Amino acid sequence: MNMNDEQVIRRDRMRFTKNTLSSGLALLAILANVFYFVSIYKSDVGSYYYNILIGASVLYNLVFMLLVFLSSEGVKGYKISYAYVLLAAGALQIVRIFILPMRAHNTVVTLNQTEVIVMQTAQFIRVIVYLCVSAACCIVAGLVGIQKSRALSAHMAAMNEQAA
Amino acid sequence: MATLSLQHLDKIYDNNVQAVFDFNLDVKDGELIVLVGPSGCGKSTTLRMIAGLEDISAGKLLLDGKDITQTPAKDRDMAMVFQNYALYGHMTIYENMAFSLTLRKENPNVIHKKVLAAAEILGLTEQLNKKPAQLSGGQRQRVAMGRSIVRNPKVFLFDEPLSNLDAKLRGATRREILLLHKRLNATMLYVTHDQTEALTLADRIVCMSMGYVQQVGTPLELYDTPANLFVASFIGLPPMNFFHVTVSEDALVGPEMNVPLSEDEKKTLAAYKGKEIVLGVRPEDIVEGGAVSVKVFSNENLGMNTLVHGHLGNSNAAENKITCKLRGWCDYKAGDQVKVTFVKKHFFDKDTTNAIRGEK
Repeated sequence: MNMNDEQVIRRDRMRFTKNTLSSGLALLAILANVFYFVSIYKSDVGSYYYNILIGASVLYNLVFMLLVFLSSEGVKGYKISYAYVLLAAGALQIVRIFILPMRAHNTVVTLNQTEVIVMQTAQFIRVIVYLCVSAACCIVAGLVGIQKSRALSAHMAAMNEQAA
Repeated sequence: MATLSLQHLDKIYDNNVQAVFDFNLDVKDGELIVLVGPSGCGKSTTLRMIAGLEDISAGKLLLDGKDITQTPAKDRDMAMVFQNYALYGHMTIYENMAFSLTLRKENPNVIHKKVLAAAEILGLTEQLNKKPAQLSGGQRQRVAMGRSIVRNPKVFLFDEPLSNLDAKLRGATRREILLLHKRLNATMLYVTHDQTEALTLADRIVCMSMGYVQQVGTPLELYDTPANLFVASFIGLPPMNFFHVTVSEDALVGPEMNVPLSEDEKKTLAAYKGKEIVLGVRPEDIVEGGAVSVKVFSNENLGMNTLVHGHLGNSNAAENKITCKLRGWCDYKAGDQVKVTFVKKHFFDKDTTNAIRGEK
């Protein structure tokens, strides 16, 4: 193993350093998700949110945050399976754009004989941005995690081969 | 690599207590100097002044000829290893060793190379992913040394690094420090109160007492030709025996002994004829058979040697106490009389406590 090769040293460093980039991005994804769910529900639109959707949404938020947090710890230690979990979580964040925000955007409900728009465009854009940021963070964290885990595995295999 | 020159260093604290008096020392490039002395003698204060952790009240400190007396600690290019390791518990060994370089924003690849090289030297490669709590005391001290090595400082400073370790580990780590010094050939200053560490590690020893340098010399010089009573009593285990004797025409006469003098010894003591001096005899310089009578009160078998504790003649006076390190396995019982001879003697002026060397 040529320890004068910058690429080799960079890979070798991973044996002793953590994947803080993936881990940090995963935590950022959780933060963006928190911004999303605290800004989506509104009480001034009557019973629009008070159905099965809100229960599922709250549950999903809890599961998402737990899963992404665990994955952030996993990818920190270059565990590839957690990187795949992050990819899946990122994909689901994109799917979520088409569930609540898309349905609520410009939907009109009647409240006290007054027609009220459930989600104005400004709020819609805001929540979409939060979900997109969350999804992007998860996906990038997952991709970086996969790439680094594979690189480390290959490096370790080369080291073992050389030792043998 | 570096030379260090300490010129007339004084340390006076704000409460006017003076801890170090007129300390002078020239440390050669690659030399390992051990500062030794009892607790409170000013050795750690001197080291801290060199490191820049204590202000220098008076005097000059030169590193490679450059005056660094007022230079802040961070700019002195010295690394210090402490007794309590001072490792970060939440960081891995790798991160601990890399920390100072990371703070300096060095290239991570360069840091990696340096950490791996230091870990290889210290045998820590397998421990790099562990936390300090998972290591033994000796390993933690090696990490502390590794943290110094990666910085590649001009001078290494060790402040009683082995004091927290048990006896076995202390011996092993001491040998590692010695190997490290040979390998790095770095200038090192090492503070200890343990004379065994001083004698085994040092190129030169600085023996201190009450803030004053008592003697500077090689371990053999301090052992063989101590400059004064303090050095003679501090260096050597078991410590040297001392007796107040009067110099007669051809012998040293004490309350319970009459020790004949050789021609050389007579010349050395020529100026002291008829006067009282202090006779020093190392326990290992006493052999069985001879004119001096010792009344045994205890006997410690060490395997190869036996420590015989007793009194000269028939006296039980404290000033006549003597410890002899006799060869082989002896089975003396309390009250036995043993005849011994002093193979080598050290003479000290009773008033000045300085060694009597005689005219050259």
